[in-house]
Amino acid sequence: MTVVNKSIVIIGAGHAGLTLAREIRANCNTTTITIISREAIRGYYKPNLSKALSMHKAPDQLVMKQTETIAEELNATLLGRFTVIEINSGRKEVKGLLNDSEESSVMTIPYDSLVMATGASPIRLPIERDLTTPLLSINNLEDYETFRSRIEQKKKILIIGAGFVGCELASDLISSGYEVDIIDQCEWPLQRSMPEVMGTEIKKAMAEQGVNWHLGVTLLSVTKNEQGAMLGSLSDGTTIQIDEVVSAVGLIPNTRLARGAGVAVQRGIEVDAFSQTHQPDVYALGDCVEYQGVTLPFIAPATHAAKALAKTLTGTKTALALPALPVAVKIRACPTVVCPPLIKKGIWQVQGAGMNLEAHFINERGQLSGFALIGQCISKKTKLASECIPTLTPIVDINASREAVA
Amino acid sequence: MATYQCPDCGYVYDEKVGCEHEGYPAGTQWEDIPEEFPCPDCFVREKPDFEMLEGGK
Ligand SMILES: Cc1cc2nc3c(=O)[nH]c(=O)nc-3n(C[C@H](O)[C@H](O)[C@H](O)COP(=O)(O)OP(=O)(O)OC[C@H]3O[C@@H](n4cnc5c(N)ncnc54)[C@H](O)[C@@H]3O)c2cc1C
Repeated sequence: MTVVNKSIVIIGAGHAGLTLAREIRANCNTTTITIISREAIRGYYKPNLSKALSMHKAPDQLVMKQTETIAEELNATLLGRFTVIEINSGRKEVKGLLNDSEESSVMTIPYDSLVMATGASPIRLPIERDLTTPLLSINNLEDYETFRSRIEQKKKILIIGAGFVGCELASDLISSGYEVDIIDQCEWPLQRSMPEVMGTEIKKAMAEQGVNWHLGVTLLSVTKNEQGAMLGSLSDGTTIQIDEVVSAVGLIPNTRLARGAGVAVQRGIEVDAFSQTHQPDVYALGDCVEYQGVTLPFIAPATHAAKALAKTLTGTKTALALPALPVAVKIRACPTVVCPPLIKKGIWQVQGAGMNLEAHFINERGQLSGFALIGQCISKKTKLASECIPTLTPIVDINASREAVA
Repeated sequence: MATYQCPDCGYVYDEKVGCEHEGYPAGTQWEDIPEEFPCPDCFVREKPDFEMLEGGK
């Protein structure tokens, strides 16, 4: 166990922030850890949000650990309902608003090392609407609680977006007795992660369960008619009657704080191989970062980053390497695993038949650089992941490797 | 027959049920599962991280 007497402040209590704290504690119990979150801090596994209905779980049953347990296990100070409004990287402090009751109070917290695990926010499409309530989207447990209370007693749900989250929510809803329509401008579901033949099989399997697909079209407006029914107008001229709309069109990294602190940001917060930003003692990981130009908004990359960064923060400088990391897509009608290629140049090669398909993405150098599997082929995921080129090979800063040699 | 749970995502390995699509048929004992067995739901935690729910040794 290392002895490091410094104060680490982590902004974000999602998978990235909490896993980092756990890993720091596995290496060192002398650092002071403070974890901050806009929402109340509860230990839940976010991917369960898109299968909770079929698991017959109410939102609060998804909580695996309450605040007190987390604080105790991590020996950390937890500041829930605390919104950071400013980072001063010169003075090494963060300023925020604590909204734990009716009143809110400003608080300033000093740090030796700061970690941004601020996640990402749902993208909001400009859809014309004459409704007063905002479009639902699900990116944390509080969103999910709202979603569950809004779909109660309702029947027909429209999902915007046929990516991971959209397909998973559709599967969960249809398996739980709802009627589901999905709309996307793409030609097939999960278009960015798999070839058309495979997407078509998923589409077919979900359609057999009852999902109504509207692909290659956009949603123009959501309005209410005189009888109070909600209507969605699509760009192909169709109008569908619905009871509720959920938007799942992707995420945009939360980078406003980082920008304010003078940290370089492209799409996400830019970090080096040690998860460090361009500011000394400011690090970032999870859905808010980009690696060599790409965001990886999944659980496994955040876990790897948390493990490496925990070592770095407790005295053993460790570069982050990411192997190919498959992701299971929770579609009941058709078991699916994807390992999306990061580089778009290349071709898909497909083997198999019907609902048992295996697609390899071969890059320009002839290397396997991503894959997608459906049906019985999902059992090949571990083998293929080991054959795939790594997602991220650390570009270790030359000065750092010199230090290591010296 | 014992059950073990992934501490991250809550997946439960039940020896009675096994995990067919990972190659472990119903009845496969926990001790016969390799150490590097990743949680089949989240792929994040591995066998040594699992917590015993009931009946284990
Ligand atoms: C429905 C759904 C299903 C998913 N399924 C899968 C799956 O099957 N497999 C998979 O790999 N991935 C899945 N994902 C993605 C995965 O859950 C995320 O990649 C991961 O949880 C991101 O963790 P994070 O800690 O980076 O961000 P988040 O969980 O978004 O956490 C961000 C934290 O930062 C805090 N924060 C942000 N700004 C501030 C501020 N200014 N002040 C204070 N606090 C702030 C927030 O309060 C929050 O605590 C799914 C996502 C969703 C929504």
